[in-house]
Amino acid sequence: MLKPRKSVVSLSLFVMIFVGTTTFWNPLTAAETNDGNWRIVNYWSEWCAPCRVEIPIFNELSVRLAKSNVMIVGVNFDEDPMELTLEIAGKMGIEFTVLSQEEVDLLALKLPDVLPTTYLLSPSNKVVAKLIGQQSEQDILDELTLQGLTPFTD
Amino acid sequence: MIRRIDSPNAVLLGLVLALSILITSYAAGESQLTRLPSPAPANSSLSRVVANEAGEIYLSWVSQDAGQATLAFARLTSEGWGAAQVISRGRNWFVNWADFPVLSVDSSGMVAHWLQMSARGTYDYDIRARFYAQDKAAWTEARTIHTDGISAEHGFVSMLPLNDGTTLISWLDGREIVHSEPSGAMTLRAGIFDKSGANVSEWELDHRVCDCCQTSSAMTERGPIIVYRDRSQQEVRDIYTTRLVDGAWTLPQAIYNDNWQISGCPVNGPSVAAMNKRVAVAWFSARDDVPKIQLVLSTDSGLSFSEPIIVESPNTNGRVDTTILDSGNIIVSWMDTAGEAKIMLSRYDINGVLLSTTEVASSSASRRSGFPIIEAVGNSVYVTWTDIDATPQVKVARIDY
Repeated sequence: MLKPRKSVVSLSLFVMIFVGTTTFWNPLTAAETNDGNWRIVNYWSEWCAPCRVEIPIFNELSVRLAKSNVMIVGVNFDEDPMELTLEIAGKMGIEFTVLSQEEVDLLALKLPDVLPTTYLLSPSNKVVAKLIGQQSEQDILDELTLQGLTPFTD
Repeated sequence: MIRRIDSPNAVLLGLVLALSILITSYAAGESQLTRLPSPAPANSSLSRVVANEAGEIYLSWVSQDAGQATLAFARLTSEGWGAAQVISRGRNWFVNWADFPVLSVDSSGMVAHWLQMSARGTYDYDIRARFYAQDKAAWTEARTIHTDGISAEHGFVSMLPLNDGTTLISWLDGREIVHSEPSGAMTLRAGIFDKSGANVSEWELDHRVCDCCQTSSAMTERGPIIVYRDRSQQEVRDIYTTRLVDGAWTLPQAIYNDNWQISGCPVNGPSVAAMNKRVAVAWFSARDDVPKIQLVLSTDSGLSFSEPIIVESPNTNGRVDTTILDSGNIIVSWMDTAGEAKIMLSRYDINGVLLSTTEVASSSASRRSGFPIIEAVGNSVYVTWTDIDATPQVKVARIDY
């Protein structure tokens, strides 16, 4: 099993820009420096049963969709410290990237009212879909198709 | 010519003026907020405020230090908060911002619970409780309140002191998820416990409920009422009630059909308060992704409810609590998420007419700020919440109406 990976290159870059140039994060900055990837941002919690059901689906999609420039990242809804978040993610079998709270803050997403909630972000970090509740693999692929993407399928 | 006003008269005049301003402002629906010192230490959170029949206020909280969690409480006296008293400590607790300990108090004693990880399951935890009998002035040993012996999720507890010294405890019970074939759903269960912790009776109240929303209970003139978030086969997660009437639980009934259909966890349970025949239930929903807090009222001990009154929409993430003043006014606490998050109290008359809205404190939409909890004593409301600006610490305030 892969270990959960912390940090997203582009987001780390945003952090550097954020720290180095200004005290306010400008969403335009994110768009300008984006890596061209679409992002699926999945909010999960260890105590959320439907979240746990989704994890294997996102694990598999994170590998398959990487070829289509779609990146899957996870967010611990409980905002635990990163060390604990990674420990929990490991126990849950999460194999895709897990964001730190600082990285989550930079995305400036509305905190979800329901778990699980999954956002689809365009390469300019615009929220193009908000998927509430447990999603199937087909739900995700359908949403990508709806956005004009032709996700890789093998 | 300027006449000198002698000092006693000036003081008296000042007092009269101040009193008249106070009376005028109260008549206009104003309230007075007083921040109280907190008896909880740094790194405390998950607080609740509760009063006994005599109106004595108790505050409970969980503090965490070096991997150990401690559940403690303090009582508010005329001299301020008494010394903090520890109920339990542990290193294997399930400490969660939404599912946290309850302290129940009445003249016969206290009951408190916490969640302890089961040895056999990663996500499994038990409801552990200690009972305090006033006449023995001692806490019992900790005991598990559910008798299934199954490693599963158990939590989201509510407690209600009954008139005979026993306590009604309701909780979400995941035994059917792991025990049934095919896998069942989260259930709602309740039991009555005496002050020794003995289980007097126990029931399954609903066979399929939402997995991760708080339960709430209150005592009406006709007996206890429990409110919770249901889960239909079609994944509709509306708010339901069941009542203990003449020794039997009524069939679960929706207080209103939001028809909020989601295959997920809102983590936002309802809250009920009661005074004699009058019952108030507040809850959060977000059908069509539009957050909304609603309030319904009952004048027949929860048998029927009014049409919903919208407390707030869409600038809220819920986290409601409810209480009723001696005046009959209903108070709903909720989180305002327009801009920086704020803890708000809205006051309604017995007909559901909004009288005032008071900002208690700035807060955070973050989960770490937890669920604000309120309790009425007379025509005052005590509020507790966690301030996460720096080191988390439990805060308390009183609002006089």
